[in-house]
Amino acid sequence: VAAFTRISREAIRERGVVAHPELVVVAEATLIADPAARVTQGVSERTAVFVNSPLVPRQLQDSVSLPGRLSTMDLTGRTLAEFGKREAISALLGAVAGRLTGLEPAAVSEAIRRELLDLGLPSAAIGRHQALALRCYEDLAPVELPPPETSPLSSAMLQLPVYEPPGRGTARISAAANSVLRETGGWRTFRPVLDPGKCNGCWLCFAFCPDGVIAMTPEDKPVIDYEHCKGCQICVHECPTKALIAQREEEGAVAWRAK
Amino acid sequence: MMTGNLAAAWGARLADVDYIPAFPITPQTEIVEALSKWCGGGELAARFVTLDSEHSMLTAAGAAEATGARVFTATSSQGLLYAFELLYSVSGWRAPLVLVNVSRALAAPITLEPDHNDVLAARDSGFLQIHAETCQEVLDSILMAYRIAEDERVMLPVIVNLDGFYLSFTREPVVLPDPDLVRRFLPPFRPSHLGFKASAPHALGTAVVGGSIYSYFRPQIHLAAMNALSVHEEVALEFERLFGRRYDLVEGYRLEDAQDLLVMSNAFASRGKAAVDRARAEGRRVGLLRLRMIRPWPADAIRSALRDRRAVAVLDQNLSPGQGGILFQEIAACLYHEPRRPRALCSFIGGLGGKNISEGEFHAIFEQTADAGERGEGIGPVLLYTEAELREMRELQLLAGASDS
Repeated sequence: VAAFTRISREAIRERGVVAHPELVVVAEATLIADPAARVTQGVSERTAVFVNSPLVPRQLQDSVSLPGRLSTMDLTGRTLAEFGKREAISALLGAVAGRLTGLEPAAVSEAIRRELLDLGLPSAAIGRHQALALRCYEDLAPVELPPPETSPLSSAMLQLPVYEPPGRGTARISAAANSVLRETGGWRTFRPVLDPGKCNGCWLCFAFCPDGVIAMTPEDKPVIDYEHCKGCQICVHECPTKALIAQREEEGAVAWRAK
Repeated sequence: MMTGNLAAAWGARLADVDYIPAFPITPQTEIVEALSKWCGGGELAARFVTLDSEHSMLTAAGAAEATGARVFTATSSQGLLYAFELLYSVSGWRAPLVLVNVSRALAAPITLEPDHNDVLAARDSGFLQIHAETCQEVLDSILMAYRIAEDERVMLPVIVNLDGFYLSFTREPVVLPDPDLVRRFLPPFRPSHLGFKASAPHALGTAVVGGSIYSYFRPQIHLAAMNALSVHEEVALEFERLFGRRYDLVEGYRLEDAQDLLVMSNAFASRGKAAVDRARAEGRRVGLLRLRMIRPWPADAIRSALRDRRAVAVLDQNLSPGQGGILFQEIAACLYHEPRRPRALCSFIGGLGGKNISEGEFHAIFEQTADAGERGEGIGPVLLYTEAELREMRELQLLAGASDS
């Protein structure tokens, strides 16, 4: 998911994708290495880049090559410590973005309150989100955003369409199935890990896995294809003997890399 | 002698279609009844299936066409609108089936008789449109439609339109083409991009996001539709050579020295031609241009027919509320860049819900158009409705308890 924000005191006469962002906030470090995610599109050495990662910027630069001026913070770790849920990072990302774009902390906090109120969260929970978000805001050093670049204007080279035979000109996919090439293991925050001693061989994990990435051995033990497991934890939830446990992916910022 | 509906059914039978998904609706039902009978009796080796709605019917039609079958189906009015979203899908699949629409005005108030708001609603769908004036033309146009649709330069579905009642239930002499000649005219359907093989699955109409992929494919449909103009010429020539009847993109009637022209389409064009004859007998130099192929829009043919005329009247048997006549807008648009365009362009709207267009109304059209041409200033939209019709309406309102309060 990519979302774009423009902030200006002037009227904004622009729509859609920000082609040359001044700031990019990356909610998940593994996306950087995934070419399909295109998180670095439009990023230059002038761009401020924030990555949600436990690594400090220099460590992160060792594993991924990112242009731009990098800052990091382990928002997922902070969220897990506070809420026990990895998903609740939106307010923190907003706080980080607010810090780096120079918004006032009170305004950021109020924006978080309104957003979460709209989701129907109780006010006590909203208060905890605001408090954690403000701590992230304070802990992050501000950066100076680059002034917008302007380039000389020229007409686009228009390519007039020509008729092509229906085999080419029809929205049709006739290539063989290739979804195995699209590795989705990088999506995980937690990986399901088997404790073979506890497994009773019931095959429930195999049956429930929505992505079909669990195979069974002749001895009725699950084998998980970590290149495609998205870490949804349904198998962990369904396992009647708690033989599958969720382990945080934390070998580094990029626990997995697209080939 | 046969009705327009039976002629349509014969078109499908002679085209040797493989699959006919059907759903009844007045005034179209006779078409699928005839085809059902023939499929049951073995005269037509097609699979006939009744579906639960027009939406399902057109889904089945497009899907079957995508497997490489030749498909025919038919509907009317509300049925066409119920199937509407599929029109755009089927054209996007480049599935060249033929759909007969028997025009019937749209509810509300509900009615059975024709105008063209139903078929013209589909004008932007990517279906080509051929509008027929006679029962013979219905049959012939279906054969031509398959040949054009299945051409690799086009590969788009076609709607063949005929007016409910005035053609659908009107018996006229119809010459049945010789089946052997039809087989020569219309070779078996062998599309390169469609077909069904278990060992080679493919996906049609796949999801695309971001706009640039979509912006490649939908203009291909436009280019394919535009190709149909020249393909129609070739097909018309071949049809004339084999069957002796000639159909062009537009049909001119007594155009040669005409000062003023009436532009119209479909079955009432026969009445229009009779009105031209009457007006000519009175000394008016008038003619009629019948729009036959409406998608693709034959702009060049229309421009060359209307060039240098004093005045042109466009008689729309449809109404776009808040705008006027649909075809008037398209005629006006294609004349804008014509330096020798008519001095006056007039818009008339008539025949809504199948209302008769009387000789007197045609006379009024010619008179007002001539005046407009003299003045050099167009008029309209003029709604054709007579004093006598309003008097009758007043009596009905009385009976219905209509009041001003």
